[in-house]
Amino acid sequence: MTPEGAVVIGWPQLLLAASFMLITGALSVAIGLGLVKDLAIASVRTYVQLLALGLVLRWVFSVRLWWVVVVLLGVMTVVATRIVVKRAPDAPRGLFGSALFSMAITAITVTFAVTALIVRVPVWYEPRYVIPIAGMVLGNSMTGIALALERLFSDLDARSGEILALTALGADRWEAARASVRLALRAGLIPTINSMAAAGIVFIPGMMTGQVLAGADPLEATKYQIVVMLMVSAATAIGSILAVMLSYRRAFTADGVFLEKGLRGPAS
Amino acid sequence: MLDGVDLDLAAGDIAELRGPSGAGKTTLLLAIARLLPGAGGSLTLAGEAADSVDPAVWRTRVALLPQRTALFPGSVEENLLLPFALKARDGVRPPSTETLRTALDDVGLADVALDRDTARLSVGQAARVALLRVLLTAPRVLMLDEPDASLDDASAAAVAAMTARFAEAGGAVLRVSHLRADAAATVRLHLESGALAGGDRDDA
Repeated sequence: MTPEGAVVIGWPQLLLAASFMLITGALSVAIGLGLVKDLAIASVRTYVQLLALGLVLRWVFSVRLWWVVVVLLGVMTVVATRIVVKRAPDAPRGLFGSALFSMAITAITVTFAVTALIVRVPVWYEPRYVIPIAGMVLGNSMTGIALALERLFSDLDARSGEILALTALGADRWEAARASVRLALRAGLIPTINSMAAAGIVFIPGMMTGQVLAGADPLEATKYQIVVMLMVSAATAIGSILAVMLSYRRAFTADGVFLEKGLRGPAS
Repeated sequence: MLDGVDLDLAAGDIAELRGPSGAGKTTLLLAIARLLPGAGGSLTLAGEAADSVDPAVWRTRVALLPQRTALFPGSVEENLLLPFALKARDGVRPPSTETLRTALDDVGLADVALDRDTARLSVGQAARVALLRVLLTAPRVLMLDEPDASLDDASAAAVAAMTARFAEAGGAVLRVSHLRADAAATVRLHLESGALAGGDRDDA
């Protein structure tokens, strides 16, 4: 199933690639960076994790069972959500649910919109399309949502004096949090917007690189890349907005009183 | 932190609350403004129980000016009008530009333009704008947490005059004092270890 023009990498070549890591390791010893162990572990992990991924995907693509695809998507979403929650240390506990909801909704909607309406795969769960696209959507919206949530709660804390004054003037939770919500959403979306602006001029996007290396026509690869980039940006935007709107209330009591970092417990 | 505190304020009162730091003065103000999470006790305003009023609406009637002046980025005018953009004051007409101008002149801020950026106000000017922002909303009760703690004598006198005028017009004031005693105070309260003493009215 190798397209014309693609050069297959053999197992000896795969090992040869590690030789550059050996050079890096030698340099690390010479300069005394103390990174040899980390480099070794990272290299081994690259081999093991990616080969495992290749084997899993090969199996998933060949069995083509709808429930395998669904289970895999579920696992990917949960893992991505865990990373999001971990990256927002100022966030109140109990954020997992709303983050999971935001990730799942956007990932499912955007992924299947691409496969069904744009790529028009004959089978809705076609793993060869669904899994990689969902991976890109989740990976990118994960970064955006994490940035937005992190900024939301750190900015709320930074504005605690202003929020107290606003609340004392009669502001409700939304009115008190609005400035931070806006800032958080900008923080979540700006990297995506920047990367759209730089695509094609500063770098060749990863997916397109892969398709071109695999022998695809650059223009065809470009079409795919445009679709994916727009959909991924939309997913990041929708996911960030959902996550922020669902979670800012958790920094307030039901009476609209802002809870500073140390006071925020599991929200009700 | 507070224990068995019982406090009555009447229209026209200026109650001065004193006590060592850590006695719970700020906590008491927060509780009355319903800004203290998990506070017990009961509050009534003109016969109406606090529980029957939306917390945000309660705070439009029982206004707290926190100790730390917090003006928002933007102009003086935007800050003075901000409370009127809140849902809790739905239907309340915002003051006109002339009203705002007169109000600033009346508190000794004749040289502060309405479009002055709040970042360019002095500490004393900012404190007066923040107090004016609350006063313009015409609350029933005004609570001030050490309003003159970081002010020079002239600004402190202006704040005391603004407070006195509010009380004369029928408002009730509860202010925490630390440095200066308020000569206009009609009720003197002392809070120590969460318990309240005093309450003598020296009607003038």
